[in-house]
Amino acid sequence: MTLAHYLFLGSALFIVGIFGALTRRNVIGILMSVELMFNAANINLAAFNRFLAPAGVTGQAVALFIMTVAAAEVVVGLALVLMIYRARDTVYAEDINILRG
Amino acid sequence: MIEHAFLIPLLPLAASFLILFGGPERKDSPLPYAGIAAIGLSLWISLRILFDAWSGALPLPYEADWSWFSFAAELRGRPFIFDMRAGVLIEGATAVMLAVVCLVSLLVQVYSLGYMHGDAKFKRYYAYLSFFTASMLGLVVSNNLLVTFACWELVGVSSYLLIGFWFEKTAPPYAAKKAFITTKLGDLGFFLALLTIFAYGGTFNIVRLRDAVAMGYLPELVLTLIGLGLLAGAMGKSAQWPLFIWLPDAMEGPTPVSALIHAATMVAAGIYLVARCYFIFAASQVAMDAVAWTGLITAFLAGTMALVPYDIKRVLAFSTVSQLGFMMCALGVGGYAAGLFHLTTHAFFKALLFLGAGSVIHAVHTNDMRQMGGLSKRMPVTFMTMTVGSLALAGIPPLAGFFSKDQILEKVFERSPFMFAVLALTACLTAFYTFRMVFLTFRGEERDTERFRHAEESGGVMTVPLVILAVLSVCSGWALEHAHAFARLVGSGPGLLPGAAGEAAHHIDPMVMATGVTGAAFLAIGLAYRLYCTPDLSAALAWKERLSLPFKVLEDRYGFDAFFLGLVDAADRLAGLCRWVDAEVVDRIFVDGWGLLCRIAAELSNLFDALFVDQAVDGCGYISRDVVGANLRWFSLRGRVQEYLLYLAVGVSLFSILR
Amino acid sequence: MIHLLSLITFIPLVGALVVLCLPKDGRRPIEVVGLLATALPLVLSCWLYAAFDCSDAAGATMQFVERHAWIPSMNVQYYLGVDGLSGPLVILTALMSLIAMIASLGIKERFKEYVFWFLVLEVGMLGVFESLDFFLFYVFWELTLVPMYFLIGVWGGPQKEYAAIKFFLYTLTGSVFMLLAILALYFQADPHTFDMVALMKIHGSLSLKFQIIVFLGFYLGFAVKVPAFPFHTWLPLAHVEAPTAISVILAAVLLKMGVYGIMRVSYTMLPLGFEWFLPILVMIAVINIVYGALCAMAQTDMKKMVAYSSINHMGYCLLAIAGCSATGFSGSLLQMVNHGIITGALFLLVGVIYDRAHTRDITVFGGLATRVPVYAGFMSLACFASLGLPGLAGFVSEFLCFLGAFTRWKYHTAVAVVGILVTAAFFLRMIEKVFLGPLNNRWADLSDMNARELVSVVPLAILMVALGIWPKWALGMMNATMMHMAGLFK
Repeated sequence: MTLAHYLFLGSALFIVGIFGALTRRNVIGILMSVELMFNAANINLAAFNRFLAPAGVTGQAVALFIMTVAAAEVVVGLALVLMIYRARDTVYAEDINILRG
Repeated sequence: MIEHAFLIPLLPLAASFLILFGGPERKDSPLPYAGIAAIGLSLWISLRILFDAWSGALPLPYEADWSWFSFAAELRGRPFIFDMRAGVLIEGATAVMLAVVCLVSLLVQVYSLGYMHGDAKFKRYYAYLSFFTASMLGLVVSNNLLVTFACWELVGVSSYLLIGFWFEKTAPPYAAKKAFITTKLGDLGFFLALLTIFAYGGTFNIVRLRDAVAMGYLPELVLTLIGLGLLAGAMGKSAQWPLFIWLPDAMEGPTPVSALIHAATMVAAGIYLVARCYFIFAASQVAMDAVAWTGLITAFLAGTMALVPYDIKRVLAFSTVSQLGFMMCALGVGGYAAGLFHLTTHAFFKALLFLGAGSVIHAVHTNDMRQMGGLSKRMPVTFMTMTVGSLALAGIPPLAGFFSKDQILEKVFERSPFMFAVLALTACLTAFYTFRMVFLTFRGEERDTERFRHAEESGGVMTVPLVILAVLSVCSGWALEHAHAFARLVGSGPGLLPGAAGEAAHHIDPMVMATGVTGAAFLAIGLAYRLYCTPDLSAALAWKERLSLPFKVLEDRYGFDAFFLGLVDAADRLAGLCRWVDAEVVDRIFVDGWGLLCRIAAELSNLFDALFVDQAVDGCGYISRDVVGANLRWFSLRGRVQEYLLYLAVGVSLFSILR
Repeated sequence: MIHLLSLITFIPLVGALVVLCLPKDGRRPIEVVGLLATALPLVLSCWLYAAFDCSDAAGATMQFVERHAWIPSMNVQYYLGVDGLSGPLVILTALMSLIAMIASLGIKERFKEYVFWFLVLEVGMLGVFESLDFFLFYVFWELTLVPMYFLIGVWGGPQKEYAAIKFFLYTLTGSVFMLLAILALYFQADPHTFDMVALMKIHGSLSLKFQIIVFLGFYLGFAVKVPAFPFHTWLPLAHVEAPTAISVILAAVLLKMGVYGIMRVSYTMLPLGFEWFLPILVMIAVINIVYGALCAMAQTDMKKMVAYSSINHMGYCLLAIAGCSATGFSGSLLQMVNHGIITGALFLLVGVIYDRAHTRDITVFGGLATRVPVYAGFMSLACFASLGLPGLAGFVSEFLCFLGAFTRWKYHTAVAVVGILVTAAFFLRMIEKVFLGPLNNRWADLSDMNARELVSVVPLAILMVALGIWPKWALGMMNATMMHMAGLFK
């Protein structure tokens, strides 16, 4: 297995994620797609660390940080979605345009 | 005694300040006596000096001076500290002049005790009088022309104060101002002469200046200019043509003041100045001629003007002007001693006449001779003394005026028979108007019985000075003429022109001339007797009818007053113009206009700012918001997060592709 | 050596700060501080007079010098010193400030601010005459401007705002050109310096063209202050509107700054430019004298008349300077001192009558001499002094002015002499119309001068007489320096 394999996996995952984020109507779905993109990035970090600077563990450490932050972000995001649902009775992204200019 | 000469002016000066600040104004204030005492002391010193000089015990000239101040000066590009020294210079003429001034001052001050008695400003009057005397004496003794000028001005200001002494009335302040300004006009000439003297001679000291002139350091043109400047000063002070206009008005002052200032002393200052600076005039024929002609014109014009007024003091005033013209003319033709001689004798008899007139005025409370007449019965002493003075003035032998006038006429004849003719005619006029005055005042019938009944002979303090002056008017001419004593004392004048001093151009037998002129004077007196020594004035009035035009001209004083009033008017108009120019042109157009220009520029900037700069800024906002922003709105501002994300993704992809 | 000049200059500043801290309502403490802060500099300047070295050798040097670096990077120094030119003016300033402060005690409203501004003004005036560093000089020069603006603008007459702004803008315009000139000199000197004494020595290296341009810059600044025709129109207005004491200061001190500047700066630093300008300067002087006198003659407002007579008298100073000789310089300086005393007194006296009659119109009075004899006496004395009567201060200085100019400008001087006559005419006319003749009954209950007014006028009257009789007291201080100055370019 070479670095290219891991990178291919990462980009595939990212594309799935971005496709999902762009096309899903449900906000929760969008959130999940965003999580996919996070993980694509994590794979890349771990792979670069493993192949380019095997002596350290910086990449893995950053990946761990990202997971933590992503978890926190999802918590906040879901809370927001919940509040929006309660207030507007919908979770569809195109209906939520209260920040429109 | 001579070493105390500097005290002569200082004593009256001290007295004047003592009188002014020494105590309150009271009826019985003893302070005026301080003035009399001071001038008495000065007189004593002056007389001692005079007699010492006369007897030859005292070598003249005597000079002593002290440093007054020093200033950084510069001559011909060389700076140095110039030591201005003030002091006394006593020559023969100075000694005589000192004695005359002190004597007349003393007599006038004594006389004033009676004349001014009961006046509300009695004390102040004496302070002014002493101050005047001090300045006059300072003028006479000073060896420094700048100090002379300073005293000259102080004499002017004390004359101002004394003419305007009764300032509660309207006329005296006006007359005082007129006198001051007119003399000041002449003083400008004196001032410029001083500047020229310093610029070319480098000194104000008379003796040094005389040396410098003698050595020929000063070119003749410069000397001429200096001479003319000094003459201008003398014209003002000595009331010479054409600046004589102030003297008749100056009669508004108290009569003793007129006697002292406007007859015997101040008006003599101009003559004295010319005599003192004779070396300058003597070096320039033009200046000399100017002096002579000024004197001649003055003597004649004033002599004619004295024929018409009915105000007793005005007659005397014109007469004074005329006599001063005689002196001036004498100096101008080289008669140095003759001019000064007449100055001396004239001081006595003219002071006498004025004081006599004062005595009359004091008695009848009017100046108008038409309301007098027949007063000889009520005021015998005044009448007698005034007659003596009039005879002296008319030049009747053996009184004082005869000798001095005779000398002048002799000198003038040597120079030019024409001038002699004019002066001789004026002498006849003098005799006529003098006795016109005497007859109108004292002879004939009383014309105003009310005033006549109240008229009384003045008291002793007033008549004694009259008598003393009368005695002097009788004796002084003879005594001073005797053995040429006066001429020996004053000398023949320093450094005369060869032509003027040496052989005379014309000769006349003195006896023939004296007899002729005296005879003519008697004729004139006789004519005056015919016309004015009558119960009524019908003969005189008839003449006036017949000669109305000449009378009118004389009463208008040949229009000189009008001329100078016109000058003042013109000056006023010029001043008004300047004021207008200053306010409307310089200030409004130049200064405010500048301000207005700035304001306009500011407004323009403001307009530019609003129209262009600010509009440009607003335009940028407009373009970005209303043009660009509004058009972008349809696809950018719908609030769809996923669209934004799409743009982002597309953008990032594009960038990564196009990199 | 104690710092005499610094003390003289900054005691009023300390006084001003103390006044700021005092409560507004208590009038007495403010008065005391104000008087102390103006009296102390006068006492010290008397000491200065006593300690001043009048010997010939001292003519070329500055005395009581204080010199410290201030802004070293720009070579700016704190540099004070006086010589025979500035010394008399410092004493005059201290004297007139005290007199004006006494005269100011009659100010009713906003007294605290008034005293504050007044003291600040005094600092500026003293500093201008003492400073020998252009930077410092300029700071003090401008420092006089602001207090003056407020003093006229707040405590003035009906048109005070207009007068104040006109005064301010006018003088500011002038001083801006002066600043440019100062900078030009600064950059021309090598090494760059604001040191006036050093700058006096570099004129040899300055080209004629440069000197002319710089001279004109300075001249604009000074001419406005003098004031020289045609930059004089702010003066009558400012005088008429200013309160009495400020008129006194304006005439007695502020005008002197202009002439002082011409003598100190223009003549010594830019001799070629000065020489080039002389024919114009003498014309301006003659215009000032004759035109100023004529304008004065046409006025009916006493204060305006005195203001125009100031223009006339400052013309004498300019004329004397144009003579460019030792005599002229002495005359000009002496005339400055005398004019300060005389015109100061005249303005005080005009203020006295204005306080009582609430008018200054000459034509409405008449015969006041019987009603207010003391006042009439002082007024006449001041008028006679101003018209140059011998025995009073104006005579000697006026004479020296003409004497100094005459050697060089005969015809101009001869024309200027007419100014003397016109001056005499308008002063005498004023005396006649106001004091003489029958009493105008409208003023039958006018009261004579009170104690405060007498205290402020009497010292000036005494000085007028003293300096007239014995000018040595003033001339002794000046002679050596004037000799030195006149000899600079011979």
